[in-house]
Amino acid sequence: MRVENKLRIDFNAALVFILIISFFLIANQNPAFLSGEYIISVVLKNAIEIGFLALPMTIIIVTGGIDLSCGNMMVLASMLGGIAAAKGGSLLGIAVTFLVGCACGLLNGVIIAKIKVPAMVTTLATMYLFLGIARGISKGVSIYSYPVTDFLGNALVFGIPIQVYIYIIWAVIFVTILQKSVYGRIIFAIGRNEGAARYSGVNTEIAVIKAYVLEGVMAGFAALTWIGRFTSLKYDAGTNLHMKVITVVVLGGTSILGGYGDMKGTIIATLIIAVLNSGLTVMGMPVDAQTIVQGTVLLISLTVYALINMQGKRKKRPKLQESGGEKMQPLH
Amino acid sequence: MKKFTRKFGAQLLAGIMLVGMLTGCSSGVKDNSGGEGEIKIAVLPKMKGENYWDACKEGAEDAVAELNEGEKVTLLYDGPPQDQSTNQKQVDLLEGWIAQGVDAIVIGVVDTTAIAPTLKKAKDKGIKVVTYDSDTMPDARDFFVNQCSVNSVAKGLLDAAAEDLKEKGYGDGKQANLAIVAATKTEKNHQAWLAEVKELLKTDKYSFMHIKNEDTDVYYPGSDETQCQSQCATLISRMGEGEDKIQCAFSFTSMGTPALASSYDAAANKPDAGKIVLTGLATPNALNSYIKDEKNPLNKGVLWNCSDLGYLATMTAYQLVKGDITGDSTEITTNRLGTSVIAEGGEVILGDVLIFSSDDVDNYNY
Amino acid sequence: MTTTKKFSRFRTTEFYLFVFLIAILVFLKIFAAGFYDINNVMSILNRFSYILISAIGMNLIIITSNIDVSAGALISALCIIVALIGKKGLNTGVLLISAIATGILISMVNGLIITRLRIPAIVATLATTQILQGILPLSVNGSIYDLPVSFTWLAVKAKIFGLIPGSVVIAIVFAVIAIVFMKYSRYSRQLYAIGNNMTGARLAGINVNRVVIISYMIAGGLYGVTSVIIATGSQRVTPTMANGMEMLFIASAVLGGTSTTGGKGKIEGTVIGALILSMISSAINYLGISSDWSDAVMGFIILASVVTTTYKKKKKRVIEGAEQ
Repeated sequence: MRVENKLRIDFNAALVFILIISFFLIANQNPAFLSGEYIISVVLKNAIEIGFLALPMTIIIVTGGIDLSCGNMMVLASMLGGIAAAKGGSLLGIAVTFLVGCACGLLNGVIIAKIKVPAMVTTLATMYLFLGIARGISKGVSIYSYPVTDFLGNALVFGIPIQVYIYIIWAVIFVTILQKSVYGRIIFAIGRNEGAARYSGVNTEIAVIKAYVLEGVMAGFAALTWIGRFTSLKYDAGTNLHMKVITVVVLGGTSILGGYGDMKGTIIATLIIAVLNSGLTVMGMPVDAQTIVQGTVLLISLTVYALINMQGKRKKRPKLQESGGEKMQPLH
Repeated sequence: MKKFTRKFGAQLLAGIMLVGMLTGCSSGVKDNSGGEGEIKIAVLPKMKGENYWDACKEGAEDAVAELNEGEKVTLLYDGPPQDQSTNQKQVDLLEGWIAQGVDAIVIGVVDTTAIAPTLKKAKDKGIKVVTYDSDTMPDARDFFVNQCSVNSVAKGLLDAAAEDLKEKGYGDGKQANLAIVAATKTEKNHQAWLAEVKELLKTDKYSFMHIKNEDTDVYYPGSDETQCQSQCATLISRMGEGEDKIQCAFSFTSMGTPALASSYDAAANKPDAGKIVLTGLATPNALNSYIKDEKNPLNKGVLWNCSDLGYLATMTAYQLVKGDITGDSTEITTNRLGTSVIAEGGEVILGDVLIFSSDDVDNYNY
Repeated sequence: MTTTKKFSRFRTTEFYLFVFLIAILVFLKIFAAGFYDINNVMSILNRFSYILISAIGMNLIIITSNIDVSAGALISALCIIVALIGKKGLNTGVLLISAIATGILISMVNGLIITRLRIPAIVATLATTQILQGILPLSVNGSIYDLPVSFTWLAVKAKIFGLIPGSVVIAIVFAVIAIVFMKYSRYSRQLYAIGNNMTGARLAGINVNRVVIISYMIAGGLYGVTSVIIATGSQRVTPTMANGMEMLFIASAVLGGTSTTGGKGKIEGTVIGALILSMISSAINYLGISSDWSDAVMGFIILASVVTTTYKKKKKRVIEGAEQ
């Protein structure tokens, strides 16, 4: 375990290093990037929704699962919340947003944990389902922001957008959950060997469901700031968002196969993607070239992680089964 | 030893990325250190790589070339890829330009309301904002360069359709069902045109045409090419003679119109071309081969001069920066187009629509 | 006992799916007779054909418990290559061969990254997706139009009895080959073995890396065929034509009973899955429902199908366990 920690610290140091280097490289190219206001109001704000979704996604990926539906979950929560707010005021809007987020997460979690449908299949289906419901109910037109979301999306506290504070609070909470709490240890245990975790008396089903519900809750937060920031939202807002979220988590050093991961890495990776996203735009690099840079960064980091893994773990670990029960074989 | 490998790995990771970033930066960056007095105009289309927007881009380039004879004007051009023509992508680009401190932004808006806060922010920073093709909220921009009035577009489309329909034997005695291919429901232009079309259908002149069921007969395939193709194919299969069929279809998008024509070509059992009518907005180049094809029921296309649209929008932005026109101006003068009227609400109107057929389709090159 | 066993062997996922398909078709016959308009059927079949061809490739990949989310971007890239060659007026045969060859080549890179660098398939192909999506618009300035009339030969002229699109024939040929291949070839048994237990397969002497790379290459070739069908649909090709389609292919395979954990899945199921998915949008339109609901219906059908099949299996396992 100790070696494990050492390893993570090294990775995080490398990530921070990348963050700083890319930051100064971009600032060097265009000083406008360094203006405090730009960093605060654009760089941070633009990645905050991805950040919200990436926190619980880290937990989900550590359990060996995945959630492709998170972007559309945010859209659906935002959509129904906005409709409710238009009818019954801000409070109802917020309540509905979180209720919908939790319900979507619960649906994913129950199907994955109880019925044992693989996470990728479940969330692929719900991805279409959530998008489709949002599109069908809204009939393709936008829904609009309401007072509370205006506040959450645009307010500044001591010159810093309020959603940054919310993100910091949640980041601390999630680091504690995954790295320090009993639940966190259960999550790692499930990711490494769900069968073993179950036999040692852990209710793995509930633990997994909790992870997906957490994703729903955070989708609620993302929904509120998103609609506030843009004043309106259309059903296609979540397009490709899940891929960005997964990119961040994987870049942060979490293994997509589950069992290994680090919340701090996710947080730093969120910042890297934020800097890259906004920075490359400031430098006047075409959108398409930015996509290439992001893909390359992801590929290189994955390669290095893989190389280190091959070096580090000679001991073969059993192939992780997403659908625990179905194919769980006795380990000789 | 193990620890060493890991440390080494982490450094390797950082090193490789550093190199990647450096090469990325050095190759991708244009020279942004413009001198004093240089004017930077940033043009943001709804999507890149689609012929309508490419034609507008040419107009913008013409304008900048013309201006560069006396001044130093730089044109920045970037936009979302065709399948990701979303508000989020446009905002990302705008934020970058605002930070760079461009002088004017010219934008074809994807989402009317969602883009407004970002544009307002640009305005607060003293950046002039001109929308073209489709508008945002009036208080979020300085001017809107409108290709033609809503009425003119709706009337142009209905005229083109009605003329062909009458030729094919429809009219007061014989009703025709109408279907429309739009892009999305948040597209302000399309909603306005649709509303105007519905209004016009009530008048005597067009009363033989009907939209039977708005839910199923107005298609919203978005900006995705394959979606557009497949929905147009569904629509073609519903066309033909008879009460429950559709006799006339037109499209509001420059993607949908050629898609209608090509879906007709690809249809297995073609509805009788003498009984149905296809038309819509699209560039003459995109429709050229279909219009000339006698067997294809698409005989007419409708559009405005999109190169001029890009030109006028860029010129408006430039004159705003220079102070040649202000919010109170009632007209704008350009070399290519002479004097254009600025209507109420800051709308610069380009002109009327253009209906082209096999006689004159070769005269246009965009 | 034997008869029930026989019957239960008959009641596979594919069987239920087939029943479901028939039910939909009957339902449409009653409530949306216009759906059976010959044009509509043919346009659905055309869509079905290109989805199916790629879904077969995707199926092979998923059976090995890998996945390919770069399929859409890859097909978009191939479409552009097809258009560039087609601009020279070359015939469809040449287009097909070059698209298949390029598809195999690019997809092989995916396979190499996954097996040699040991990067999990989903993230490796995610990265290549981003790279492909970035390179395309940069290398081609906008869409390619004014393609010669001969370019659309496959979509417009190539019709059996002047009715059935050529693409459907191609799809059926590939489906039949694939079904036979998956039943009788040694390679297919290796695919299933790897999906079921990779370590076991390796110990049994299977060259896992090679088999996986070949599965990606086969899929790449099939993407090539799909790209020709999509690109030649009209005289204009854009660099984003197939983006996002990978989800349709994965959904077809999954709906057809292929498990993303690998080791399970039949081509027959994929055929029915692809057919159901390609019908939805049009069926909804004919039923008089706004097409805004098509994504929701699609999601619901996939979800309902996987939940019921998985649930049924789970119950069966419990019962079998009790008998023991």
